[in-house]
Amino acid sequence: MTPLGSIASAVLRATPWRLERRLEVEARRAALSRIGGAVGAMVLVGILLLLTGRNAFWIFWQALDAIFGRQRGIEGAALRAIPILMTALGVALSLRMKVWNIGSDGQFLMGALAAVGVGIHMDGPGWLVLILMAVAATLAGAVWILVPALARAYWDVNEIITTLLLNFVALQLVTWSALGFWRDKEAAVIQSTREVSHTLPGLPGANSVTIALLVPLVIAAALWWVFRSTTIGYEIDTIGGNPRAAGFAGIAVRRRILVVMLFTGAIAGLGGMLQLSAPGAQAMNAGFSAQFGLSGFIVAALAGASFWGVIGGGLFIASMFYAGIVLQTKGLSVYIIFAIYGVILTGIALGEIAARYRVVRRDADEAASHPGAAVGTEASREAGP
Amino acid sequence: MTGDGTRPSVEARGISKAFGGVAALDAVDFEVRWSEVHALVGENGAGKTTLCNILAGIYRADAGQVLVDGAERDFRSPAHAIDAGIGMVHQHFRLVEPMTVAENIHLGWPETPGVVSQRALVDRTEQFMGEMGLHVDPTARIWQLSVGEQQRVEILRVLARGARVLILDEPTAVLTAKEADDLFRVIRELAASGLSIIFITHKLREVLAVSDRLTVLRQGVREITRPTEGATASEIARLMTGEERVLDVEHRTVTGQAALELKGVSALNDRGIEALHDLDLTVRSGEILGIAGVSGNGQSELAEVICALRPLQSGSITLDGADLASLSVRAVTDIGVGHIPEDRIGMGMVLSAPVKDNAVLHNYWTEEFSQGLTLDRQGVINFAKQLVETARVQTRSVFSTAGQMSGGNQQRLVARREALAADRLLVAAHPTRGLDVNAAQEVRSTLIDKRDSGCAVLLISDDLDEVLLMGDRIAVMYEGRIMGVFDSADADREHIGLLMGGHSAVEAAS
Repeated sequence: MTPLGSIASAVLRATPWRLERRLEVEARRAALSRIGGAVGAMVLVGILLLLTGRNAFWIFWQALDAIFGRQRGIEGAALRAIPILMTALGVALSLRMKVWNIGSDGQFLMGALAAVGVGIHMDGPGWLVLILMAVAATLAGAVWILVPALARAYWDVNEIITTLLLNFVALQLVTWSALGFWRDKEAAVIQSTREVSHTLPGLPGANSVTIALLVPLVIAAALWWVFRSTTIGYEIDTIGGNPRAAGFAGIAVRRRILVVMLFTGAIAGLGGMLQLSAPGAQAMNAGFSAQFGLSGFIVAALAGASFWGVIGGGLFIASMFYAGIVLQTKGLSVYIIFAIYGVILTGIALGEIAARYRVVRRDADEAASHPGAAVGTEASREAGP
Repeated sequence: MTGDGTRPSVEARGISKAFGGVAALDAVDFEVRWSEVHALVGENGAGKTTLCNILAGIYRADAGQVLVDGAERDFRSPAHAIDAGIGMVHQHFRLVEPMTVAENIHLGWPETPGVVSQRALVDRTEQFMGEMGLHVDPTARIWQLSVGEQQRVEILRVLARGARVLILDEPTAVLTAKEADDLFRVIRELAASGLSIIFITHKLREVLAVSDRLTVLRQGVREITRPTEGATASEIARLMTGEERVLDVEHRTVTGQAALELKGVSALNDRGIEALHDLDLTVRSGEILGIAGVSGNGQSELAEVICALRPLQSGSITLDGADLASLSVRAVTDIGVGHIPEDRIGMGMVLSAPVKDNAVLHNYWTEEFSQGLTLDRQGVINFAKQLVETARVQTRSVFSTAGQMSGGNQQRLVARREALAADRLLVAAHPTRGLDVNAAQEVRSTLIDKRDSGCAVLLISDDLDEVLLMGDRIAVMYEGRIMGVFDSADADREHIGLLMGGHSAVEAAS
């Protein structure tokens, strides 16, 4: 049993109710429970804000108005969502195989760097340059995870460490490019690469959001289909569930791990190109990734490796971050905003756990003689093989 | 605490327990006395393990009381139960695989010294093993041990914690006849020293051999508690099953070409030590070759090397003349080799995946389900439903995860799945281990049907009775070698028992 479950059942022991673990959790309940967790957390945040003498209602109104009150807000949230969704989808794919790609930030940066390299050196029609940028970024993301993937697949080297550490290497390379070999010598900003002159076409009716927003949606749909209707998805899930059984079924486990890890890097790398090809973001500097990989990782973990869950969660978190930025301009301290982020994310995580339990009423006499009867059942289920 | 053999050590009164609305136990009374071996008998799903899990503090009863030494106790965890002197050895091991035997025995043991060297741990373990008369290499890591050896470690671990009431959940399911006899001796000694032993089993011979009293459970209800003296196997079987079923196997003598042929086969085990030495073996189409032997003598490696799960060091393996050793796992399956693996849960299933996905683990790539890249989802569902029905697997639906099924149902699913995949050769490693009488009969009938349809069947079992019952020919394996092969008509139980113990054919004959 999780620590939370133990606490909850200890509290419930004094009441005529008890916790019971669900044998199965339907997708809808899992989603609603997370939403409930987020809403509950926001209510808690509101109460705390009121207790510290702030006008919580005004703050919430400002946050909602900042996002939904104007087109700029919706577009600002969408722009932040694209890199988060791309890194989150890569991580979610790796999680299906119980592989933890913590390096999506590095793959994202290397994808963007490759795209800049192509973009600033190539002449030609814009569409062709953009396509080649996307190809280069995809390959660069895959190359950046190649060594951890080979090490994990063939020598069982823990991928968490290797992928994480490569993030720092990628960041140094980006800084070097911005200060050194691709530095923009004419611009006023000294720490930046030269600018790519092409951008992706905008979405109809949008000012700044490009067709890049469609890419994560298409990838999520494709991944959903792969895991629903193909033998490859079946094999990846089998490896994730029990690698020995996968070997027993004749699945080339090591090669599959390698290929899937390369794909997770490629998706994050393409994310870097999408970010770079938005109007106003066409050059790279050390601050190019606002820890998108980390946000993406949080989204994927909270979504439980469900691809549509990643889309919903990524859009939510991007909106939350955007609202936070707007609230800072309205005078709310950045520390309070970070604390609010933390409480809301914790609320979603608790919702994820809560979906797996239900509260049932004990019989009157049973309550008297056997409080907390279900606790042992649950503990043994987890202790079992 | 010890004594007269009549004072109850543990009592359960009116215990009821339901899982998801299904009653596993219905107002069961159960009483064990000091100095007695009490057999708890019943089929799979009769509630034996559930009852003992309640006594061991793992489950909490929905209703009823547990008394230890006459005082009511409320166990909130297994730690409470072990404090009260109740310890359980589970069917599924709870050992830390990467750690050594000595470390596992000392893990979480209050008597373990705070600062201690590996050397001291090993010495303490060896001394304790000597006292108990149970031996395992204390420096071996758990994952390197055979299933039988792992269980010995489990028993030692519970004994080390000073259990005075020892619950053994089907302890002989993984032991050989010799190991089981040793265990019975230990059990008798422990009982003589005043402990209570609760012995869960469905092997009637063991009930009669080792217990003082017995309790039969059927479908969550206690049928009877009585002294073992005077009880007969058929009477207990009737109470357990409500009917008597005995499988009568007609043995055949098949001549002609060998289907499966191993010549000079050598292979390593997981520790990198040679487990099969220059081994020759043939299985003909339409016969069951039974491999008798104490577990850990290379049987697991034999099954794996045939099914391409373990590399061949030297020698050749052919099936109907075609080289098997050079094929991939999938190619071996494709030419009609089925494999019921020894570790059905660890190797043969994905517990977190739905039943339907487990049903097609060994044929999802075939044309029946896969057209190129896509997987025919409806086809998989239909296949799984049919498999569940024919194998009489009890599950809520084919969409439930396999981990929710009971162990017996998981085994039935794997056995039937592999039998379907086997057109030419079925390798069955301990296929009835842990199954109750009826389920074991079903699996055996499946093997006989395969044989009668012309399939070659290689049956590996550490239950000598089963090998003698099923095998048309019987090969005895000891330390990676075949000690002898007999037609079933010539098979002599005692002779085979000696060969299993490593006595050479000449010694055994004299």
